[in-house]
Amino acid sequence: MIVQDDLLAPEVVRDPYTYFARLREVDPVHWNERWGGWLITRYDDVVRAFRDPERLSSDRMAHFVRELSSYDRERLSILIRYFSRWLVFTDPPYHTRVRMLVNKAFTPTSVERLRPRVRQIVNGLLDRVESKGRMAFIREFAFHLPVIVISEYMGVPPEDREQVKEWSDETSRIFFIRADDPERRERSQAGLIKLLEYFEPLIHDRKRNPRDDLISALVQAEERGDLLSHDELLATCTVLLFAGHETTTNLLANGLLALLQHRDQWELLRQNPALVRSAVEELLRYDGPVKATFRWAKVDVEVEGKTIRAGDRMLLVLASANRDPAKFTNPDDLDIMRNPNPHVAFGHGIHICLGAPLARVEAQEAFAALAERLPNVQLSDQELRYHPTLVSRALEELYVEW
Amino acid sequence: MGRRLRIRIDYDRCVGSSICVLTAPKVFALNAEGQSSVLDPEGEPEERILEAAEGCPMMAIVVEDAHTGERLFPR
Repeated sequence: MIVQDDLLAPEVVRDPYTYFARLREVDPVHWNERWGGWLITRYDDVVRAFRDPERLSSDRMAHFVRELSSYDRERLSILIRYFSRWLVFTDPPYHTRVRMLVNKAFTPTSVERLRPRVRQIVNGLLDRVESKGRMAFIREFAFHLPVIVISEYMGVPPEDREQVKEWSDETSRIFFIRADDPERRERSQAGLIKLLEYFEPLIHDRKRNPRDDLISALVQAEERGDLLSHDELLATCTVLLFAGHETTTNLLANGLLALLQHRDQWELLRQNPALVRSAVEELLRYDGPVKATFRWAKVDVEVEGKTIRAGDRMLLVLASANRDPAKFTNPDDLDIMRNPNPHVAFGHGIHICLGAPLARVEAQEAFAALAERLPNVQLSDQELRYHPTLVSRALEELYVEW
Repeated sequence: MGRRLRIRIDYDRCVGSSICVLTAPKVFALNAEGQSSVLDPEGEPEERILEAAEGCPMMAIVVEDAHTGERLFPR
């Protein structure tokens, strides 16, 4: 064994970058026996994989179902039915059709219109904590911002936000492969059913009373008949809601941690607010919210001289590609002026994160306001702990004071 | 025919989402590297080309009036 294969070992969860740097150097296309798949850790290989959807599938549910007993297939049938229609887990032509339907709502131009409202929400959250002199950054800030923004954009009423967020978190359990959650498939389906039951009447309401929100726009696509079926509409509502939550929270928390651990960069941002755009790109690269994403080979594929067999699964390690010295100068340095910065924190190719432009606006507004309003913020004395998951880079909490 | 357009792809930004290709297939195509390239700047109406540029999640497409140099997207 070239490196130990436990991807959820405490030291790997705490510092995945050192672990993946070694792998990238000694075995960039690595068969991980314990996980049962290939780890792809070089930038060029990761990008090439992203650009090859014809040979590398994103159809996670097809592979999930294959490994289930017929009893489990029956028991988890709702989960399978809707997750197999989630954009992230689908291939063309389905993916192309639905992506093109929702893309318009998430283009940089469309989400730019939300910026003033995002700024207002950010300032409202800071108003609540500013005089306290300290906060639990995730619980009091980073958790709320994306929930409020995506809920308002979709058309989920404020009074339902917290409940919907809870169901969305339950639903997500199945994806954040954890060492400590044996019931995650059942809980995931239970959460999903709650979300489906929630969206059904909301969709009916928007059929009668269309508004200027995302659900209304999707309903119109469904009503045009051939564009979106009812199941597809429901699946898309749930995936947009879910995807708008946790990843942005983690971007904000990881980003603030990185800035406060590199005080010179925090000061640089503070003195040059116009750097916030390139700063956000660098925070995405340096310690982004998603460590890795999956693909399945449809046919035999050669990568770095190794043969990945049809049916094998691959982990495209974004956290490693973004630190590859073959692509980035001084990759382990945080440099908020880095330009260009072709990181793959949002993926690449046809599955490039739909919500990336929105996440960018949220993060830009959050860090701009933090730097302006809490210039002396610093890390509180604490032991940083990360959730033990394969896919997400998620702090349990981040305590700061000023 | 409308005015002539100059279309540029910012290759530091382009991630090969294919959205421009799907929106205006006679104008854009993916090259061998999987990034967008301009096949024919007159292949589709201006409206469709601007829709393709606006649809790009990376703002990697710049559209200008070829004659006056006026920037049409991003504004």
